[in-house]
Amino acid sequence: MLPGPKERMRLVDKEFIARGLRRSSTGRFLLWILPWAALLVFGLYAAALCLVKGLNQTNMDNRFAFGLWIFLDLTVIALGAGAFFTGFLLYILKIDELRAVINSAVVIGLVCYSGAVAVLAVDVGQPLRAWFTFWYPNVHSMLTEVTFCITCYLTVLFIEYLPIVLRNRKLREVPSFLVFEHELHKLIYVLAGVGTFLSFFHQGSLGGLYGVLRGRPFAFREGLAVWPSTFFLFILSAAAVGPSFILLTTWLVEKLARKQLVRPAVFRRLARISGLLLAVYVLAKAVDTLVWINRTSPETGFQAWQYYSWKPFGTWILFAEIVLFGLLPALVMLTPRLRAHTGWLVTAAAMACCGVALNRFVMTVQTLALPTLSFDPFLSYIPSWQEVGTFLAVVAYGVLVYSFSFRYFNLFPEERELRLEAAAQQEEEPALAGRY
Amino acid sequence: MTTTRRNLLKFVGGGAAGALLTPAPWRLITDTALWSENWPGIPRPARGEIRARFTHCTLCPAGCAVRARCVNGQPVSLTGVKPHPISHGALCPWGIAGHHLPYHPARVRQGPVKEALAAVARAMDQRSAGERVAVLDLRPGRTVSWTYRRAMAAIENGLYLAPRQPAYSIDLAAAETVVSFGAPLFDGWGTPGNVFAARGNFRLVQIEPVESRTAALADMWLPIRPGTETAMAAALGGETTIAEAARLTGVGEEAIGAVKEAAENGPAVVLAADPSSPLMSLNAKLRALGRTVVARREAPLPEAWKKAAPVTEMAAAPDGAIRVLLIDESLPGGYVPWQEIEPKLAANAVVVVFTSTTEGYARHARYVLPSPVYPEAAEDIGPAIDTVGEVFRIAAPLLAPVVPVVNPGEFVARIAGLPQSDPLRERADAIHQAGRGALLGYADGKSTPAKEVTADNFWKTLNQGGCWMDDTGKKAAPGKLEFIAAGEPPHDELPLMVVAAGGRRGGLAPPLMSKLERESNLRMAANRVALSPADARSNGIENGGRCLLETACGRLSVVATIDAGVPAGVVEVAAGPRIADLCGASPRARVVRA
Amino acid sequence: MTAQNQNRRAKRYGMSIDIDKCNGCGACMMACAVENNIPPLPEAANDRRGVTWIRVYKVDNHRPYPERRIAFVPVLCQQCGHDTPCVHVCPQQAVEVDPATGIVGQMPERCLGCRYCMVACPYHARYFNWWDPKWPAGMEKTLNPDVAPRMRGVVEKCNFCHGRWHAAQQKAAAAGKSEIDPADYVPACVEACPTGALRFGDLNDSSSQVAQDAERPESFRLLEKLGTEPKIHYRSQRGWVREIANAPRPEGKDEARG
Repeated sequence: MLPGPKERMRLVDKEFIARGLRRSSTGRFLLWILPWAALLVFGLYAAALCLVKGLNQTNMDNRFAFGLWIFLDLTVIALGAGAFFTGFLLYILKIDELRAVINSAVVIGLVCYSGAVAVLAVDVGQPLRAWFTFWYPNVHSMLTEVTFCITCYLTVLFIEYLPIVLRNRKLREVPSFLVFEHELHKLIYVLAGVGTFLSFFHQGSLGGLYGVLRGRPFAFREGLAVWPSTFFLFILSAAAVGPSFILLTTWLVEKLARKQLVRPAVFRRLARISGLLLAVYVLAKAVDTLVWINRTSPETGFQAWQYYSWKPFGTWILFAEIVLFGLLPALVMLTPRLRAHTGWLVTAAAMACCGVALNRFVMTVQTLALPTLSFDPFLSYIPSWQEVGTFLAVVAYGVLVYSFSFRYFNLFPEERELRLEAAAQQEEEPALAGRY
Repeated sequence: MTTTRRNLLKFVGGGAAGALLTPAPWRLITDTALWSENWPGIPRPARGEIRARFTHCTLCPAGCAVRARCVNGQPVSLTGVKPHPISHGALCPWGIAGHHLPYHPARVRQGPVKEALAAVARAMDQRSAGERVAVLDLRPGRTVSWTYRRAMAAIENGLYLAPRQPAYSIDLAAAETVVSFGAPLFDGWGTPGNVFAARGNFRLVQIEPVESRTAALADMWLPIRPGTETAMAAALGGETTIAEAARLTGVGEEAIGAVKEAAENGPAVVLAADPSSPLMSLNAKLRALGRTVVARREAPLPEAWKKAAPVTEMAAAPDGAIRVLLIDESLPGGYVPWQEIEPKLAANAVVVVFTSTTEGYARHARYVLPSPVYPEAAEDIGPAIDTVGEVFRIAAPLLAPVVPVVNPGEFVARIAGLPQSDPLRERADAIHQAGRGALLGYADGKSTPAKEVTADNFWKTLNQGGCWMDDTGKKAAPGKLEFIAAGEPPHDELPLMVVAAGGRRGGLAPPLMSKLERESNLRMAANRVALSPADARSNGIENGGRCLLETACGRLSVVATIDAGVPAGVVEVAAGPRIADLCGASPRARVVRA
Repeated sequence: MTAQNQNRRAKRYGMSIDIDKCNGCGACMMACAVENNIPPLPEAANDRRGVTWIRVYKVDNHRPYPERRIAFVPVLCQQCGHDTPCVHVCPQQAVEVDPATGIVGQMPERCLGCRYCMVACPYHARYFNWWDPKWPAGMEKTLNPDVAPRMRGVVEKCNFCHGRWHAAQQKAAAAGKSEIDPADYVPACVEACPTGALRFGDLNDSSSQVAQDAERPESFRLLEKLGTEPKIHYRSQRGWVREIANAPRPEGKDEARG
């Protein structure tokens, strides 16, 4: 009997899944995809409203010219730094353990960056003029630098993603794909180097965006030559939180897929790297904050204490950013006894990510909420549903791309080994079918 | 070279590479930016011949001189005329965007003219003995006001009603001390240009509960308790002691003493928010009559017009006797609260209003007829409260009415059976015949004695923004000044005293006023009230929150602003017809959260 | 720029504003909107989305009634002369300082609408077009032909009525003169001010009223310590008014939340 359409779909689906890996049935996969697809559609509608009717659909205004989108863009780019940093650590510094997560990191990086760029396209008032930055660049502007580097880096990410796609079981059957992928793999060190260089600059420039604002003493910092201290602090924090985010997402995928995808040693390695960088970052940030409070800000006529006199942004936010979500997770991740427990690891990683998100929030939202003129009020801002919807579209897009990548591509090279080891150890027990 | 495919490709490829070295493709790329510059739907300003035209503004009795920049005859911007001796080049925010008014989206665009004429004619025929036909003229003192008076004289039992006009003028330039009881001297009083030109000569003492714009720029602001102005005036006039006034008004004795001394030594003038307020009688005690408070002089009239109906105030009209009421609301001016008008109307009264706004009497009248809006109509401007001497100015129209309108003067003249005429021309001729005074030209500001100008040139210059003035002759003291006695504010149980903010009058406001109201909170919009923080707190009202303004006459939905410059016990309201209907003359109110 | 232009001494146009004369009438705001074809915004617009190239703020001395005193402060683009914040940050070079006049010019046609310049400006003098311009039917006939209306999605700000500068230059060129007549170049707000609080002129010309006003002891500029060298000089005899030039101090404010 010839297979019916549903059966045919399932057969085709199975052919794309790598040998030796177990994934959930087609039906269950579709069930997982459906709500995210619906969310994507809703989010696209919200974004379409903003594009068609104009930015009056958001709750941004002349005082809150940057809102939810910029804050989330900056956060997401910082979290996606895991892509370049893991590549740097693996291919340049030769930390081989990270080979287990590099593919996943690249996909996450791709998703984060492409999502951020998509949101930026909606955020600007004239998206069709985006090419002006390339045509009339302003060499003094940090935003020009950000635009160039992010565009180039997104291209690099696509190129890094290609091999992962082309190594798919079915696609490998096309000879030209196989050859292309092989050739591309030779470039991997070049790509990693270029990616690191570009990322270094745009992560820094995103910090520089705020550090150069002479008109906003809350954000303004002194620095080295044309680069304010926030340039370096953003690089450090992004590098610190990149591995944490990889750790977090890998753990999450493991939990959702109900499989072991990497060896525990990888987690610990990621945590050590993240903890170390986070500790360095906290130190640098503390020094920078002290300089800012005692010299930079007072010289502009703005006393630092007054920034924290406006409710609800009291000094608790400074404490939370540096100590609670900075020093604490760093210490946890650096302590071997605590590192041994996945629970502590994941909590610390999550707190580190929150810390970076809080830092980006402080730089984007608090800067704009604080008055600069003495007759200005303190301002508050709540995003509209269109803004939230647009961002949810990015989240849905990310989950969908990652889900497809996890299902059809070999994101975790150690997965098969681990599965075989587990099967060998538990030959009596029936193999558990994973959810995906 | 043989024509093979390869050679062709080489040629094309080489050509393309070479073209990249020319400016052409790069210019084309930059030109694509034009696509993103202006999409269809963005209006393009019309181009054309640019000319200047001169006229006068009719949005308030000041009648400031206006220079209009016109493109193909369409006014695109208005400015003052700097060398003008009356307005000194000043225009207020309403006057600056006056040329937008004809296109106001809320303008009354049509009305049942034929039905109104028929209804009026029928009512005039069918009215019983003693029933009146009345015209309510909200901007008396114009030439058309004389048309109404003549019309009402021609009709049996015709009645000409107008809000009381002060019989005096204020000579600000002659004053060294100005004591103002809430008069908005720097926010719409008199002729702004004249006030600011004279600013350097006088010391201003502003006496009012709320710190207004005038109080902010005054030399002294006395924040008195609301309702105690009479006590203050009594002390300044020497009728009571300063200590007594200090006790009642809450102002320090030293301050009151300083004001009294300044007012007594040197020419002084007392102003009040309401020109007919009894507080003005303080001027007599300060010997201001004939010095800073002088007789109001009107420009000459044709003799035939003097047999016109007298001016009657609404309060003096007999109750229930008006069968036909024609209201001229075509120019923003005084507003008589409807509660004062309604008792005077007979049963089946026919009320016709000539207006451009739906916010005023259009809410009450049966027939709403569209009137021309500034700068569509030919009008003349009488003397403002601070105009000393006789003046005659014509506001020449800058464009034809953009909607079908009814000219109120013509309508009334028609129903009264007056012969067709051009009253403005007749008036101008009468002034010219009087043979005195000088004619001021527009751009050059050159002044020519009226005697040396022909009647035609006189008329022509007046229609081109010129101005006739005669300020020769000794300043006369005003005749008997009558004031409306201020009774006790009724309805004491309502907690808040109503104080009107300066600036806004009735009528259409240019749409660009959104810049001052919604888009910047600089001025109070018509639906706004201001409360002190204490009163707002005790009523649970937030800044920008909706609430209800309640008086004995009704209630209105308003938006509250919390203003620490408003004392407890006072609610400051934006002036306007709806508020006037609700609050009348300074009564009391309550504000509750909506 | 021709060689002739370059040889002319560069001007530094600025304003002096007498806060003791400003009565907050708003005539300057209306004249600016009329001159620069700024439409009235839809009902949904409030004071945080309004486009008001010049905006008059009401400031007070933070004392309770009856010691409270108010003043009115017109704020427009301060035409910063040093380290101009918006010029440095625009990714497309849509903002530049004109060396001949000192005016900070904004090119709406080049603007991407990223709003970075609005974040950078400490004086909040830059405005974004959240809506497309829409005038009531028929009112488009009253548009000024010398200024192009902008579509939505671009930033705009005061440019000292640059169109009037060009018209003055054309007039001077037509008359064969090399310098414009100062009386020919007056921005709309200064022309409209009925109290004479606003004055405009060349700060480089020591004989101009504006340059002399700037030297007076009661003269101040907003947020001077930021080092932006604004060209708008305010003055007031009242000490508490001069305090508004400094950074915000939340102490003593009855509303610490907007």
